[in-house]
Amino acid sequence: MHTQDFPQLASVEKIQEGFESFGYICSDKIATAVFLAFQLRKPILVEGPPGVGKTELAKTTAQLLETPLIRLQCYEGLDEAKALYEWKYGKQLLYTQVLKEKLGDLLQGAQGLAESVERLHQFGDIFYSEEFLEPRPLLKAMQQERGAILLIDEVDKSDYEFESLLLEILSDYQISIPEIGTVKARTSPMVFLTSNNTRDISDALKRRCLHLYIPFPTVELEERIVRSRVPDVEEHLRHQLVEFVHSLRQLDLKKIPAISETIDWARSLLLLHADQLEEELVRATLNVLLKFEDDIESTDGELGKLVREARE
Amino acid sequence: MPANLVNFIQVLRSHDVRVSPAETLDAMHVATTLGYRDRVRLRDGLGMALAKTPAEETVFNRCFDSYFNRGLADFSLDPEDNPGEEQAEAGEQEPGDAAEADPSTSDAAALEAAALNNPELAAVMNSDLMQALLNNDRNVLTMAMTQAGEGAGLQQIQMFTQKGQYTRKMLDAMGEQQLRGAIIELERAADPALASLQRYRDLLREQVRDFVDREYLLHAEGRNQQFMEDVLSKTRLSNIEHSYLHRVHELVRKMARKLAARHARKRRQYRRGHLDMPRTMRRGIANDGVMFNTYWRQVKREKPQLLAICDVSGSVAAYAKFLLLFLYSLQDVLPKVRSFAFSGQLGEVSDLFDEHPVEKAIEIVNWKYGGATDYGKSLEDFARLALDDINNNTTVLILGDARNNNGDPRIDIMRSVYQRAKQVIWLNPESRRAWGTGDSEMFRYLSACHFSAECNNLKQLERVVDQLLKSTR
Repeated sequence: MHTQDFPQLASVEKIQEGFESFGYICSDKIATAVFLAFQLRKPILVEGPPGVGKTELAKTTAQLLETPLIRLQCYEGLDEAKALYEWKYGKQLLYTQVLKEKLGDLLQGAQGLAESVERLHQFGDIFYSEEFLEPRPLLKAMQQERGAILLIDEVDKSDYEFESLLLEILSDYQISIPEIGTVKARTSPMVFLTSNNTRDISDALKRRCLHLYIPFPTVELEERIVRSRVPDVEEHLRHQLVEFVHSLRQLDLKKIPAISETIDWARSLLLLHADQLEEELVRATLNVLLKFEDDIESTDGELGKLVREARE
Repeated sequence: MPANLVNFIQVLRSHDVRVSPAETLDAMHVATTLGYRDRVRLRDGLGMALAKTPAEETVFNRCFDSYFNRGLADFSLDPEDNPGEEQAEAGEQEPGDAAEADPSTSDAAALEAAALNNPELAAVMNSDLMQALLNNDRNVLTMAMTQAGEGAGLQQIQMFTQKGQYTRKMLDAMGEQQLRGAIIELERAADPALASLQRYRDLLREQVRDFVDREYLLHAEGRNQQFMEDVLSKTRLSNIEHSYLHRVHELVRKMARKLAARHARKRRQYRRGHLDMPRTMRRGIANDGVMFNTYWRQVKREKPQLLAICDVSGSVAAYAKFLLLFLYSLQDVLPKVRSFAFSGQLGEVSDLFDEHPVEKAIEIVNWKYGGATDYGKSLEDFARLALDDINNNTTVLILGDARNNNGDPRIDIMRSVYQRAKQVIWLNPESRRAWGTGDSEMFRYLSACHFSAECNNLKQLERVVDQLLKSTR
């Protein structure tokens, strides 16, 4: 992808503005990462707790650039047949059966086995050509004419071998297919890898990427995010609810509420016509924020205090 | 700038952030793309290229701030900047002087007046250094300090005792000598301008000293840490002072991570195996030669088992602790570990490690099984608990000093373990020379071991565990 084709990515500020117009409020750091990834043609490895908008970042970039988003969800056991390419075995089989009759015509007049084989050799490996190739996400991303956003989601869930598979693609934007040769990207895609840190990513992979860690946002940033996503919430309620979520994040919880939960909660408070936080109201809607029964029980005693603090 | 960036990366490396040459190149690209105007943005950008974990990022940010945020040295004599002492000093010397608005101009004025009838002082006054000091030209002075620092090789500073030496070198390089000469002259002549000149000199010295301090923190801190780790890993584990224990824990974890990275990948390699072509073709005959089903030549994976038996009596407890810490830090790579602890009697402690964090579990083990050693009784217990589970895929790892207080060593049980197991490894914290002396039964037990090693510091421990990982695969 070249700068002249995408004026949206010309500077860090432009990226920030562009993202904002799609409702993705981001810190300067995130915008810098996207800018650098684009300028240096490097993949970004995005890490951070779940729900801080790692996947959303890739989606919004695709929206901003109006390019297709190609997504590869990783899981244990993901292999090259699912990620890179596969041969269309069915089609190959069908064609061999259909062409069986043709074989007689081709070999007519051939003297002995040696000559027949010689003739067959002249036809090349038709069954292993691009027509019989079934592209999977990674190959598909290489084939896009105008470039693409390639999102390799939750790469920490895949096996170690899969990581090594990614190395060639991430550093040279090409894929080696033994039967055909090397397929180079028509336009190198912009690659986002996300990880939830369930295991360490190998050094080799990290070396090829820019590393972006997205933490939970600050109060101001989160308020801006809520404002852009749920514009109807009044200002002082918005402030209160964000403060409340922030103090909730300080507690020992199994699952800490993320930005998406804050947004959901703001929506539900809006539906209930709340104009400020009340202890009873919070208790009734707490299951939007906390997803474990244990968490809800353990915070129950402190709700009053937290609500009072948030209202101050 | 590139040289500066390379130096900075050296600093990062000394603080344990691993930076490859390719990443150095990336950092250069980042710097040229972003420009140097916005410091925070540059820091974020460089951080993305150089620091690859959140932990590394904090180290990076700290290093970046102390490396680039040096700011300009402040050489003003203005009382606004450092009120207290400056004014007190001025007040002591000349009571009338305090009333004056700006002592720095008065200092300069006094010096200039003195220079009029003192050609030597005038020469000093006209030197670059003195001019910069008089005008409080911070750019020039900071540049001069940086250059002098580079000239003196300040980046090689290692010990805090070297600080004075480097300060001296830098001052000499900046031309302080001339200043000193002039002060001696003035002193001899009892010139009233003496105090003013002295003040400038002290200021200069103070700034250079600060500069050296900062550089010391930046360059030597990381290096000293590495040195410390090196020393710790070669010290006998029982000799390590209590206050260093937490460092050793970290070190063990670091070593375990290294070993895990080295061995993890290979163990997973043979999962599906290769295409079994002959079989696939043979089965294809039934389908008119079309190879409809594929068959894989699967590699049968062995399920290795590791039994760790640790002596936790007073003399060996410290070693057992670290061996267990090692083994449980490697849980992802090692086969299933079952651990046993003994001194007077033996019991299985694997469950404790499942239920508690490693450190806590080790504490409980020490508390539960510590006491006087009885190898014979303990081996009997072990045979009862686990002998039936030992087969040719089992590795038995024993850590103990083999000092049996002259009891029956029950060598017969060891023999049957030896015959059943794939390998028996004995680690002894005593040095080889002490084996077999006094009540040590080591030589008798050796006849029932495949491999034995002296093992009393982290380096040896690491080597043994590395060996273990290779052989249990």
